[in-house]
Amino acid sequence: MEVRHTEVDVVVIGGGSAGSTAAIRAQRELPVGRVLLLEKAHVKRSGAIAIGMDGLNNAVIPGHATPEQYVKEITMANDGIVNQRAVMAYAERSFEMIRQLDGWGVKFQKTQSGDFDVKKVHHNGSYVLPMPEGYDLKKILTRTIRRAGVRVSNRVMATRLLTAEDGRVAGVIGLDVRSGDLEIVHAPTVIRCCGASGRLGLPASGYLYGTYENPANAGDGYSLAYHAGAELTGIECFQINPLIKDYNGPACAYVTGPLGGHTVNARGHRFIESDYWSGQMMLEFYRELHSENGPVYLKLDHLAPETLTEIERVLHRTERPSRGRFHAGRGHGYASDLVEMHISEIGLCSGHSGSGVWVNEKGETTVAGLYAAGDMACVPHNYLLGAMTYGEICAESALRYLRDGRPGGGTSDARATGEPPTTGALAEQIALERARLVAALGRPRGIPHHQFEYKVRRLVNDYLQPPKTANRLRLGLEHFERALDELNEVGATSPHELMRFVEAGFIRDSAEMAARASLFRTESRWGLYHYRLDYPDLDDDAWFVHVNLRKASDGRMEAFKRAVAPYVVSLDAGERRSYYRIRVPATADSGAPVVAGAKGPPPARPTEVRPASSTSTHQELPS
Amino acid sequence: MNPTRPFPTGAEREAVKAAEARRVGNAQTTERFDVPVIVNEEKCISGCHICIDSCPVDCLSVSPVSGKAHMQFDECWYCLACELDCPKDAITVKIPYLLR
Repeated sequence: MEVRHTEVDVVVIGGGSAGSTAAIRAQRELPVGRVLLLEKAHVKRSGAIAIGMDGLNNAVIPGHATPEQYVKEITMANDGIVNQRAVMAYAERSFEMIRQLDGWGVKFQKTQSGDFDVKKVHHNGSYVLPMPEGYDLKKILTRTIRRAGVRVSNRVMATRLLTAEDGRVAGVIGLDVRSGDLEIVHAPTVIRCCGASGRLGLPASGYLYGTYENPANAGDGYSLAYHAGAELTGIECFQINPLIKDYNGPACAYVTGPLGGHTVNARGHRFIESDYWSGQMMLEFYRELHSENGPVYLKLDHLAPETLTEIERVLHRTERPSRGRFHAGRGHGYASDLVEMHISEIGLCSGHSGSGVWVNEKGETTVAGLYAAGDMACVPHNYLLGAMTYGEICAESALRYLRDGRPGGGTSDARATGEPPTTGALAEQIALERARLVAALGRPRGIPHHQFEYKVRRLVNDYLQPPKTANRLRLGLEHFERALDELNEVGATSPHELMRFVEAGFIRDSAEMAARASLFRTESRWGLYHYRLDYPDLDDDAWFVHVNLRKASDGRMEAFKRAVAPYVVSLDAGERRSYYRIRVPATADSGAPVVAGAKGPPPARPTEVRPASSTSTHQELPS
Repeated sequence: MNPTRPFPTGAEREAVKAAEARRVGNAQTTERFDVPVIVNEEKCISGCHICIDSCPVDCLSVSPVSGKAHMQFDECWYCLACELDCPKDAITVKIPYLLR
């Protein structure tokens, strides 16, 4: 295991959607070679999306939506627990990013008059902009990274961050997953764009890599941040998505919805008004799935053949192009069969829910010089466009910090001396991490990484999957603490296995975070995402706060409350609860049953909403 | 343990074995796995690494036996990056058996 040292101004970890725009933006103002992009895979096929994306879920386009409307919608979808300034920073800049992407060659759907063809999928506003040729997205981003002159190190994963004695970030310890060598990058600014913690729950198929998220996103960013002393937030607000059963990819109501597709129960009836993914929608989905009306399907069989061809053209080419092969393998077609759906394993992902490293509207974490963007940073429901927008925001913050914001104005150790550090905090951290990795390689007959991972993730399903209870969460926590010891029995026989060993640690860390944050918040919120059977009600008096996690001075994980910052866009109490009114009333005409033998409307179902009651009173919101 | 009784029985034996189980180390076996990435070795070009570079989970490598690309680790996300990027159309990705 060779140890090599590099020194740059900005290091970006992760070359997905956020990392690409972060590196491109930083490179625009720095000499070539001073911005380094580390990518665990290869930038041409990395990040949450390996191929492309069929649309933007949250485009705030003048004439279709305003930043204020969007901030309101996201606040409602997140039961009020948002840093509105951070959401607003995205909303105000997102259109600029769309225009930039347009200039890079990304094609957006436009109407005959040339306007952006925005669709309504959210409960209230219109924010979905299709990208029918979105399969080119990764190619376009890769080309733009090259043209910008960004220095890229592919197949190098970050295993730990380096921090100076005063707590500032000082660089990254990278592992070359092909050679097994260590790449130590000394840098005063680090922008982490490491994606979701997507290998947390175990998919129902039992296949470790059959996850909703790209399985390369193993919670690296969450764990790196935690060990560097940064705060994380909203971890108890899990990511759970409605997916195609077994295939575990999105059914894409966003794509099919505007063309007439929708979610139905086994009776062929609609049961939710909005297919937009929120915790409240997931709770209704979960209830329907486990009721006598389950399972749940995506219904397309009523659509015209040319519409189905259009749907297949998009869905079978962009986000998860193997989807058509999956249906064909089972002899299913959209014209003749409903698509059976279920709910995903749990994960942590701010892109979809609200879990992530605590960042403000500048992308700053609580560690000086350290920034985070994309699925791992806490700006809720940020999706693809949010990742790209916050990549730029982080780059601008890092550039500002380089220019004038660095406390003491010092340079990194390596830069000052031209030599790698041999003493002091950094040398100690490097030696410690090297020893940890060498030890794993010294256990070639140790527990294989995949068995360790299977066990932790199976226990995540057993104890953390909502609905949650303190009893189960505590048992889970015991297992995850034991897993910390068991990690010392896991061995690696190659650099590839060493990568998986490091990821196994990230997964375990994520599991402990998920258990602790869920235990701490003794109420229910965000629909299914944090549905506590032992505290079934939403309790704004005690819990209208963020729950944050950090490493305490004694090295243990601690949870604590952080106040919700005053709103910049106010909501009335009715608006606050609108996301709990998405179930189609049982008395409404819900269409003809499609199941043979089924007659009449579905049995009366309770229309009241839980965990939040629509009639309860709520505290006045700050305005 | 009673030295005159080398093979204790019952609860005493269990206590000995339970202690032993905590320190005996590890043993391994191997199992076959059906994997989803199928490479047509006739079409695949020796020395080309395009698919191996494409894979987001790094589960492909050059087979030491054939010198051609193959799926080395059972870690495929069936994303089709390798199949789409192969310049010789030598790769077919199946849906992993467990999901099929």
